[in-house]
Amino acid sequence: MSATVEDPPVTDRPAAVRLRDVGKTFRRRRRETTALEGVTLDIAAGEFLCLVGPSGCGKSTLLSILAGFTPADTGEVLVDGRPVEGPGPERGVLFQTPTLFPWLTTRQNVLYGPRARHALTPEVREEATALLETVGLADFADAYPHELSGGMRHRAAFARVLINHPQVLLMDEPFGALDAITRAGMQRFLLELWQRQRTTIVFVTHDVEEATLLGDRVSVLSGRPGRTKAVVDIDLPRPRTYEDTETLAFVTAKRRIREVLEQ
Amino acid sequence: MSVETAVDPAAPTVRTRERRQRSWRRSLVGAAALASALIIWEIAAYAVGDPVTMPTVQETARELLHYLTKPYPQVQGKTLVDDALISTARILAGFGLGTAAGLLLGAAMAGIRVVRELADPIIGVMRPLPPIAFIPLLVVWFGIGEASKVALIFFGVLPVVTIATLGALDAVPDELSHASRSLGASPFHTMLHVRLRAAVPGVITGMRIAMGGAWTSIIAAEMIAATGGVGFLILQAGNYLQTPLIFSGIAVIAVLGFVFDGLLRLLLRAADPTARR
Ligand SMILES: Nc1ncnc2c1ncn2[C@@H]1O[C@H](COP(=O)(O)OP(=O)(O)OP(=O)(O)O)[C@@H](O)[C@H]1O
Ligand SMILES: [Mg+2]
Repeated sequence: MSATVEDPPVTDRPAAVRLRDVGKTFRRRRRETTALEGVTLDIAAGEFLCLVGPSGCGKSTLLSILAGFTPADTGEVLVDGRPVEGPGPERGVLFQTPTLFPWLTTRQNVLYGPRARHALTPEVREEATALLETVGLADFADAYPHELSGGMRHRAAFARVLINHPQVLLMDEPFGALDAITRAGMQRFLLELWQRQRTTIVFVTHDVEEATLLGDRVSVLSGRPGRTKAVVDIDLPRPRTYEDTETLAFVTAKRRIREVLEQ
Repeated sequence: MSVETAVDPAAPTVRTRERRQRSWRRSLVGAAALASALIIWEIAAYAVGDPVTMPTVQETARELLHYLTKPYPQVQGKTLVDDALISTARILAGFGLGTAAGLLLGAAMAGIRVVRELADPIIGVMRPLPPIAFIPLLVVWFGIGEASKVALIFFGVLPVVTIATLGALDAVPDELSHASRSLGASPFHTMLHVRLRAAVPGVITGMRIAMGGAWTSIIAAEMIAATGGVGFLILQAGNYLQTPLIFSGIAVIAVLGFVFDGLLRLLLRAADPTARR
């Protein structure tokens, strides 16, 4: 198990996501909030990176910069070598609360992306059916979001993103509002999915255990203004399962992240 | 399957059946409520015993059927059907124009800051004014023909639909638009299929409120300055102490109002799945 890296390694090897000195300040009614300052981070293609940090340190802001919803004030934001200029389907976003379109059924929600891009082919429809099966919503394909449970809505939102085959998945505390059992189910689902597809994932969470279970590396942000305080490698073997959370190696890794957080 | 689910294949059909049963039950209860109101009316009519003050249900029904096809007053009068059509045409014209203008203005206010800042105070002053206060003015400007009636309804509907549209558009969460954009939709597609689409239920609710106000205005206007329409008929009937006909006119308004609100409710159900209960 490698030691905590105080300064995030800056290399020139091709990274799926490359952040250099990213800063963001919100100005509102003469009040300035510096949410992010000098965030530098490289995320390799196929890596599962977890982002932890105290509340209000700018995790959501960083994710929305990556998604292209808000521009960064300073610094460089590259995804797959190209500067981020706006939202796009190659970067799938999952929000803390699933934002399904309430007037569309589960299936129509899943097909929203292909339809909007005029890429709705019979193959895509078949894929949607298969995806709904995978996320366990085959019987609720024609139900509306308000007829689904919280966990089901998350899975529907997941399927809606996955049908676009995103290269990067940006997830902002996606399981934060779920009960422990549903949450464990979603984590297992995400791990299996990642194990199969090796999508680059940036995963924001409050939960150190969740970060340890899921991540290849855990990037710890400092309190506001957020900057990368440390990046902790999690050298636990893959594939990981929920049972691993009881091993000594897991507990040690978890404690290491908590120590950095509390520094 | 990777996520454990408590899937019940029968669930959707059970839900529809339950819903159908509920809607049957609701129709039955509604019919029973209306029937008991008629019975109370009938009892009251017998208790009063004076057809000019309180006609019975049968008298009213007879009068209603009679004047559906016979003009009232006999000279220069119109049939109840004609009067109902006249009022309906005025409502439809004024409501259609007012809704269209309200939608445009509301959308412009939501999208363009200057428009919002300019229109906000005007709407704010206009909204609490009862539209019927403008009837004499509109008669001076447009005469007692159709134009003044349509204008009255237009100015009554406009602020209500504008505020409903603005409110509904403001209430659409940014995240919904963000989700659409990051699923690959263009800004225009997102505007049309997410922002405007998400606002539709709120707009229809505003239209329902505006429709109620439109009936109030049109009946008042027809009583003050008109030569036709249900309001004109009711006023004439009142002048000649034709109480059963007054009740008939009110019944016609009730039916028309119910039908229009029913149409808007259908529209709402079509637009908003959460309204289908
Ligand atoms: N649109 C905005 N306008 C003004 N200030 C904002 C805006 N968005 C975020 N901020 C500020 O930026 C800081 C970082 O916010 P952000 O939501 O990124 O935090 P976070 O790390 O995601 O917190 P949490 O863990 O509680 O979700 C906060 O102080 C917040 O007040
Ligand atoms: Mg956040």
